[in-house]
Amino acid sequence: MNRIQKKIWSLTLVVLFIMAIIWTALTYYNQKTQDQYNAILQRYLSLNEVTVASQALITDLNDYLLQPSEANLNQLNASKADVQNAKGDILILKNEDNEFVMANYMNLIDSLMETTERSFMYQNQQETEASANEFSEATRISNYISETTLTLIDTELKTYERLYRQIIEQSNELKNLGIWLLLLITFLLLLMSYWFSKSITKPVEKLTQSANELAKGRFDLPIKVQSNDEISFLAETFDRMRVNINNLFLEIQEKAQLEHELQQNKLLLKESQLQSLQNQINPHFLFNTLNIMSKKAYLEGAEETSDLLVSVAGLLRYNLKRLDKPVTLHEEVIVLKQYMEIQKARFTERLHLHMEIEESFLGVQIPGLTLQPIIENAVIHTIEPAEDGGNIWFRILDSGDIVTIEIEDDGQGMAKEKIQQILRGDSGQTEGQSTGIGFSNVVKRLRLFYGQEDVIEIQSVIGQGTNVRLKIPKKRRNDGND
Amino acid sequence: MRKTGIVLLSFLGVVLFYFTFQSAEKVFRSDWEMPEHAIEPVNQHRLILITKNLDTPFWNQVAQGAREQAQKEGVSLEVWGSYGNNQEDFLEKIEVAIYSKVDGIIVQGMNSQAFNELTKIKASFYNIPIITIANDAPIEESLRRTYVGSDQYLAGQMIAKQLLADMGSAGKVVLMSDSQQEHYQKQRLRGISDILKDYPDVQLVNAETLDSREQIIATTQDILNRVPDADAFVAVNADFTGVMVQEIGKRFQVEPFYIYSFDDGSDSLPLLEQGKLDGVIGQSPEMMGTVSVELITKWLRDESVPFDKEGVLTDIRMLKEKEAR
Repeated sequence: MNRIQKKIWSLTLVVLFIMAIIWTALTYYNQKTQDQYNAILQRYLSLNEVTVASQALITDLNDYLLQPSEANLNQLNASKADVQNAKGDILILKNEDNEFVMANYMNLIDSLMETTERSFMYQNQQETEASANEFSEATRISNYISETTLTLIDTELKTYERLYRQIIEQSNELKNLGIWLLLLITFLLLLMSYWFSKSITKPVEKLTQSANELAKGRFDLPIKVQSNDEISFLAETFDRMRVNINNLFLEIQEKAQLEHELQQNKLLLKESQLQSLQNQINPHFLFNTLNIMSKKAYLEGAEETSDLLVSVAGLLRYNLKRLDKPVTLHEEVIVLKQYMEIQKARFTERLHLHMEIEESFLGVQIPGLTLQPIIENAVIHTIEPAEDGGNIWFRILDSGDIVTIEIEDDGQGMAKEKIQQILRGDSGQTEGQSTGIGFSNVVKRLRLFYGQEDVIEIQSVIGQGTNVRLKIPKKRRNDGND
Repeated sequence: MRKTGIVLLSFLGVVLFYFTFQSAEKVFRSDWEMPEHAIEPVNQHRLILITKNLDTPFWNQVAQGAREQAQKEGVSLEVWGSYGNNQEDFLEKIEVAIYSKVDGIIVQGMNSQAFNELTKIKASFYNIPIITIANDAPIEESLRRTYVGSDQYLAGQMIAKQLLADMGSAGKVVLMSDSQQEHYQKQRLRGISDILKDYPDVQLVNAETLDSREQIIATTQDILNRVPDADAFVAVNADFTGVMVQEIGKRFQVEPFYIYSFDDGSDSLPLLEQGKLDGVIGQSPEMMGTVSVELITKWLRDESVPFDKEGVLTDIRMLKEKEAR
């Protein structure tokens, strides 16, 4: 690709071409004028030649008459030849205007030759008188020739007057032409240079602008350069680079966000663990004690107490182990049931739990200890304050590509501010946490786990009850990423 | 803004192109060719009309007639001559014409040795026919082929008759003529005296003068002194008319005099119109030109019978004051 080079070449060629045309035309014109001048000058010179030759002839004749020597004779013959030559030369000068004078002129030359001849002849015959007469006649004829030459030149001038004037006019016009040509070429060159430079600088300017935009960090503006040379190639490459940078940038941003989320997740987990560790002093000891108590109760025949103690131990164990790992919904439901058993032992007839479970979705993964805090929340707000107890409904439903887990109660309901607080994830004071994990902790963990905001929905009417829905996607968004 | 710029620029471009091409066309237009070289040899006969008095009304008419006829005949003709009766120039022109070997010379006759020598010896040597026009030169001396012009003897007679009719049969008549005694003046004088010799009461006074202006003035004054009671003047040489009338006018009223002249002087007709002349012999200059060219062309083409030695006479008539107007 060498478009810019081509442009420069073509500009140079155009300039060269114009210069060549002008040079050729001027040379042609000059040659033509030169020829014309030469032709005109030649005419006058030829005419003058006749006069000069005829005068020379007279002089030589005179010399010969005075001293008839061989040398003078030769000289005379040479002069005669000269006159004849001159006469031949002016034959071409004949034209319509000077036809008559020209004929006279020719004849005058002939007369001169004849008279010279006669004078020469008489001299040779020793007739000096007659020879002298002829000589004077020849002299007169020579004078007439000179006069006629002037007349002819005069006629020439008249004939060619128009021509001469035209030549003068044209050479004046040539000056004008020069000026016009200069103006025209200047104009054209300026125009062409303007276009040419613009075709180079404009794309560069655009490119610079785009580069500036990029430097400012705006990667979303496409780079468009209308040009057909290297600049456009450059622009295309540049644009590709921009797109690549943009993609990389976005990717990095995403990664950073993920990293951030992960960090938060870990922090929350650590917080939970710390809290649970703080709350449960020496859990293993407690766990073993609960098991011994269960066996003891069983041996003493208090089977119900034994079962309750087993539930408490299972719950405790689950709580200790499963906090930092995803579990299946099934495990979560088992823990929930154990928890409810304990609560049933506490509230006996006041607690009515209704469960509707679609068994087929129990394989869905959720973060551990998510359902228990919510149910606990419902128990605390529904069963505890009411004298004659209350109802709690627990449902697992299929809603397309998500699994809805609904926990409903008919308790005193929640204030709007409280709901907003929970949804924002503010960890306010939590009432009666048996596991050390509050409602808002659950919400945060769910959001982090699924990578989306819309995981929970709380509807509550004061005095009538609360309905909490968890929307669990059947497939985790970035499965396998962590 | 941009649009106006483009329009302006295109306009400028068009204007520049227009003027440049206009200019270039003017420069490179090559219609200034040299006149065509006449290739074919000159077959035409070349004639020359030579006079002593170029650019006088009379001779202009002669030349015009001759040119028209030459064009008709297809021969080339040039009018040469001297101005104001310059004889030296005149003779030189004849000589050049002879050396130029023209085919025919039509010349105003002249009574001089040099003229006769040229026409008789030189022209014959080069075999060039010579015709005298308007003024004759005697054939014996000039060997001219023929004469074309007025019958000068008859003209003299007409003047004399008119004079008798105007003045009556008694009076003094001054005849102004050239001292060189040109042939045509001799004939005019002969014509006048042939008529007037029958009238003994008419006294003729011959005044001869050289033809320079000073001489004419002197002679006229001398005559006016010698013949104070002259009744009539005849300018036998028409060139004298103007000066003569002027000199008479210096002394007397011009009207009472009977003054006659011929139309081959440049002053004659204007003076007649002014009423200063009583009569002028009118000749036919155009006819002279026409006839002379016609004759010489015929002779050159061998078509014609030999020339009439006496000459071909053209019309003359007496112009009176009122006719001239």
